[in-house]
Amino acid sequence: MIDNVLHGFTTILNPFTLLLMVSGILLGIFMGSIPGMTATMTVAVLLSFTFTMDPTNGMMLLLGIYGGAVYSGSIPAVLIRTPGTPSAAATIFDGYPLSQKGEAGRAIRISTVASFVGGIISVLGLIFFSPVIANAALRFRSPEFFALAFFGLTIIASVSSDSLTKGMMSGLLGMLVATVGIDPIAGFQRFTFGVPELLTGVQFIAVMIGLFGIAEGLKSYSEGIDRDGKKVDQEIEGIIPSLSDLKSIGPVSVMSGIGGVIIGAIPGAGGDIAAFITYNEATRWIKDATPSFGKGNVRGIAAAESGNNASTGGALIPTLTLGIPGDSVSAILIGALAVHDIQPGPALYQEQTGLLYEIFMGFLLIYVFILLFGLLGAHYWVRLINIRESLLWPAIFVLCVIGAIALRGNVFDAWIMLGAGAIGYVLRLRGYPLAPMVLGLILAPIAEENLRRSLSLSGGSLDIFYQSPIALIILLLSAGTLILPVFRKVSPGLSDIMS
Amino acid sequence: MVISKEKIRSNPLALLFIAVSITVILFASRFPSDGQVGPGFFPIIISLGIIMFAVVDLMIDDDTALEMSDFDFKAAVLIFVLLLLYLGLMPILGFLVGTIAFLPIILYYSGVRSKVTIISISICLPVVLFYLFSRFFLVRLPEGIIPFSRLLPILPIGVIL
Repeated sequence: MIDNVLHGFTTILNPFTLLLMVSGILLGIFMGSIPGMTATMTVAVLLSFTFTMDPTNGMMLLLGIYGGAVYSGSIPAVLIRTPGTPSAAATIFDGYPLSQKGEAGRAIRISTVASFVGGIISVLGLIFFSPVIANAALRFRSPEFFALAFFGLTIIASVSSDSLTKGMMSGLLGMLVATVGIDPIAGFQRFTFGVPELLTGVQFIAVMIGLFGIAEGLKSYSEGIDRDGKKVDQEIEGIIPSLSDLKSIGPVSVMSGIGGVIIGAIPGAGGDIAAFITYNEATRWIKDATPSFGKGNVRGIAAAESGNNASTGGALIPTLTLGIPGDSVSAILIGALAVHDIQPGPALYQEQTGLLYEIFMGFLLIYVFILLFGLLGAHYWVRLINIRESLLWPAIFVLCVIGAIALRGNVFDAWIMLGAGAIGYVLRLRGYPLAPMVLGLILAPIAEENLRRSLSLSGGSLDIFYQSPIALIILLLSAGTLILPVFRKVSPGLSDIMS
Repeated sequence: MVISKEKIRSNPLALLFIAVSITVILFASRFPSDGQVGPGFFPIIISLGIIMFAVVDLMIDDDTALEMSDFDFKAAVLIFVLLLLYLGLMPILGFLVGTIAFLPIILYYSGVRSKVTIISISICLPVVLFYLFSRFFLVRLPEGIIPFSRLLPILPIGVIL
């Protein structure tokens, strides 16, 4: 392990990789500071920059964007009561009241330190726990992998929206789209309608760019861009948080960091859920909080920010070990690796140990840079909130188009991207979450191949799933995830009995 | 629990999903089957799942926090039409000229009124992106019928990635 750590550090400490890392963080901070510009959208739109890079450099740029955007979402949350990214929503509770007292600088400094603590804890969790999970997953066979893919879809559908049925439909629709192209086992052409570009299937990266770039843009124009008109004119002074503040937020940052890693590792949970849960736990855990939570308590900011940043490394645990994305950004990172023919999963820990430790060490360094940039540049980042969406969206649309074309050098993928954008917009209009669709696209090949292989081995009998205790437990969990919410809705009064 | 006409009217996408799924099942059932788990097996299973959840969704018809209530559909349609034109004309105009033509229109529609801003973004952004992707990342971008992009000077940038 020490050798791998040293190898990881020596590889990422070359000037070009560091430049990409810093560029990614700055781009992430830039986009995350602007309300409505999410980490997912930023990573999806800028993914095309990594197609010709080697995997390590590409991942450093994308992870820099990811970490930077999740961190900087707190800046508008503190200053204008609007989270830059969904994961910063819980930061509003104490960040904004503190800002109203004229202590915005203090709130941002607290948020920066807590983000750093949460981020570092999450990467350490990734380094120490992911090899253990990957090692256990090496014993998985087809039934377990099918069960795991199905479980991933159900849990994502259940946590990504308040409607399980809509989440599942979105996920299954993604799975259906993934069946286009040559069948992986029999080699038969499915739903290609004579279009040669569809033989290799629908490029899921093009679909992701459409769903998270174009659809979000259309949604923004629908709601009216630059509608808030909120201007920030607060001056941020000072760089280092006071010693008393650091003492005050230390324990809660560590605890929330640990909680954030665990929550982030649940597929589909993401930074927003992690932040709300860790904030809520902090309010229960800290009894003598003064001022009380929700009135400008620095520990409230620390809990939310440490939690959401810790979810980033947590989300990478199922992504890298099992190939099941922890959140939307992880799904895009799977796409980034797929471009280089790298398939996340347990085998990755056997075949690409070098790359993994480069990613781990790089991610650690990214959080060190975030701490530095956050503290030294807070004065400048607050001004980013004033950037108009009317200047950004046209540029983002162009980047979406160029990104889709760059995939395979043809315009066809850009049409797919645009189609996905239109579908994504209509789905959003009717309250369907988009994340399960992307997950469905990624999980479908894993699910289909392993389901068909399992049934071929058992001669079409479902017994193969009962005979494997792990597969059976995972499938029962999936069934529970699906049945309970629907049962509660369909049977009035049942929820009262159960709760 | 029944599916009323009102529920169907308020949830047209669920009906559309059912229709698409039935079509997929009809198509997939014609695929050659080597035993029980041929190429059509998985699409049929997925489609049946969609039908099942769509029916449940029609029965319970729950609104979600994600649903957009206050929106201007026309604005999105106009932007989408602009994007369709931009992409549709790209094989003719090429990426560079197409983007230089597309950006002023969308910037103006977005509410940008400063001529200097519109002109500088509309020219600088496509040129920078062209150099970055076409000359640096070596991505083949559409050149159009008249390849104006070839008139741009070749900068001394090598691929170092």
